[in-house]
Amino acid sequence: LRKGAIGAPIGPGSRDRNKHAVDTHHIIAQRSAVKPIVTYLLAILLVTYAVFLHLEKGKPVTTVIWSFFFGAVLVKLLIWRPIVKESVIIMPEFGVQLETHYGSGKINRRFIPVSKILKPVLNECVTPVTCCWCLSFLIRDGNELTLVFKKFRPPLKMLVPIWKALCVATDCKESFEFQEDG
Amino acid sequence: MEFKEGKHSILMVSDFFYPNFGGVENHIYLLSQCLLKLGHKVVVMTHAYANRSGVRYMTNGLKVYYAPWKPFLMQNTLPTFYGTLPIIRTILIREKISLVHGHQAFSTLCHEALMHARTMGYKVIFTDHSLYGFSDIGSIHMNKVLQFTLADVSQAICVSHTSKENTVLRSGLPPEKVFVIPNAVDTTMFKPAPERLSMDPIVIVVISRLVYRKGADLLVEVIPEVCHLYPNVRFIIGGDGPKRVRLEEMREKHSLQDRVDMLGAVPHAKVRSVLNSGHIFLNSSLTEAFCIAILEAASCGLLTVSTRVGGVPEVLPDDMIVLAKPDPSDMVHAIKKAIRILPHIDPQEMHRRMKEMYSWHDVAKRTEIVYDRALRCSNQSLLERLPRYLTCGAWAGKLFCLVMIIDFILWRLLQLWQPDSEVEPVPDFKRTELKTEVRK
Repeated sequence: LRKGAIGAPIGPGSRDRNKHAVDTHHIIAQRSAVKPIVTYLLAILLVTYAVFLHLEKGKPVTTVIWSFFFGAVLVKLLIWRPIVKESVIIMPEFGVQLETHYGSGKINRRFIPVSKILKPVLNECVTPVTCCWCLSFLIRDGNELTLVFKKFRPPLKMLVPIWKALCVATDCKESFEFQEDG
Repeated sequence: MEFKEGKHSILMVSDFFYPNFGGVENHIYLLSQCLLKLGHKVVVMTHAYANRSGVRYMTNGLKVYYAPWKPFLMQNTLPTFYGTLPIIRTILIREKISLVHGHQAFSTLCHEALMHARTMGYKVIFTDHSLYGFSDIGSIHMNKVLQFTLADVSQAICVSHTSKENTVLRSGLPPEKVFVIPNAVDTTMFKPAPERLSMDPIVIVVISRLVYRKGADLLVEVIPEVCHLYPNVRFIIGGDGPKRVRLEEMREKHSLQDRVDMLGAVPHAKVRSVLNSGHIFLNSSLTEAFCIAILEAASCGLLTVSTRVGGVPEVLPDDMIVLAKPDPSDMVHAIKKAIRILPHIDPQEMHRRMKEMYSWHDVAKRTEIVYDRALRCSNQSLLERLPRYLTCGAWAGKLFCLVMIIDFILWRLLQLWQPDSEVEPVPDFKRTELKTEVRK
């Protein structure tokens, strides 16, 4: 699970004084100090062991090549973050911009006008190993939900203020409603 | 919703739930509804069905987790031993569950959930809904699995005294731990027809899955004999299954097309209207732990003729049922007796008596007592619990101990990876009450 932090809203003053203020929420992937060190150490250990096997035990040089490969895979899986930040920029009465910032520097932006948003919803999702909450939009004339955060699954206490801000901006009444089934 | 003292948070687990219809499915649903009315919190966990996956809410806010584990054989989730540990742990923590109630011995998800819940220190209850054999290879394996699960269960519930005997013998569970709480019937849904049907023709209704276990082969022998003896008797057969072909052949052979109606699979919502078109309900099961079908028939005012097997004799009083050995001639004799006493039966009176005898609210109150008893059981550490598994057998006991030790280790590793405090509890939602204005 990646922890994030919510950035302060950019825009002057409180809502009452200036209700057209642009509201921005960022979810940033937390950097841990220990994990990269441990992962690099493990990768170096793996390569060193492979070199030892090649030089002392006479194993073929492909062992060393495979160890580099596995080391790289380990580093990519555990440390490399394709997405470093996801942002929601709420422009009241205009629309919502969803941004995804990648580790390579690329930024993916998507704008959804207010007229297309039927309602922002907080959905409970179940995977084979865990449960999480997703913030999504119900789009008018759309068949599927649009996820606000593509990759990150922040905890509910981070999502609720963003959802409330989206409800205010898209003029929807907040309610915990049941979708009764059966 | 704040929880009052004495109210529990229950997780019902089974492979068998809505959108499937059946005895176990209905039991879980109706019991959950009655427990919700008593003020408890109930959450159901089952596997995903077709495209129904994720969280759904049913009537009165009953939350159902359709975990995306696909069934692999006869509705059962693939048994992976430890695969379901993360999702079950997450659900138990986020819903603040206090005890886990598993249903049906034939459900792999139930066994896994009970095992993981015990490892994590929760109190568990198991309800057995069916009778099983002892001698065939499938039963031997099933009974071993049951022994493992029930070695450390807090309390168990069976649906009849016969079922209790069967469960205790199969699993080696001490009888003091087993409660008998019979199933019930929704008497508001199963009512007799407002006007009594005429006695000509006499209609005998059969509604069951047309499989060997439900005695479809007996029907093939009994129906032509009864039709021959009584020209004014008709049969209505609802249900489908592999034995349907045999019944259709019987119909052709004896030219009974105008006297035997085969309706095919009857949706649960239509069962009442099929029952209300008959006078007598025929049940030919070869084995039955309880048999809710005859309760439904009696609630609709039908006189029941049934095989004397399993828990059937415990279900209805002697004046509402005629019992027979699972033998064609004895069953024909029983049908003769039923036809003779039929004019003395009052369907409305039968329905009134059923209303007093059986209700799901009563089942829920009795189940509440079992829950209270379970929660009073002492908390035990892994080392204190392991000796119970050793009694399961010379080799099996050691294997079971190993399985539990590995489960414990995996649970601790999972706690290191994601501590309990990191699993967010689910907020309790307020249910909006629908206010309807009464027009005067």
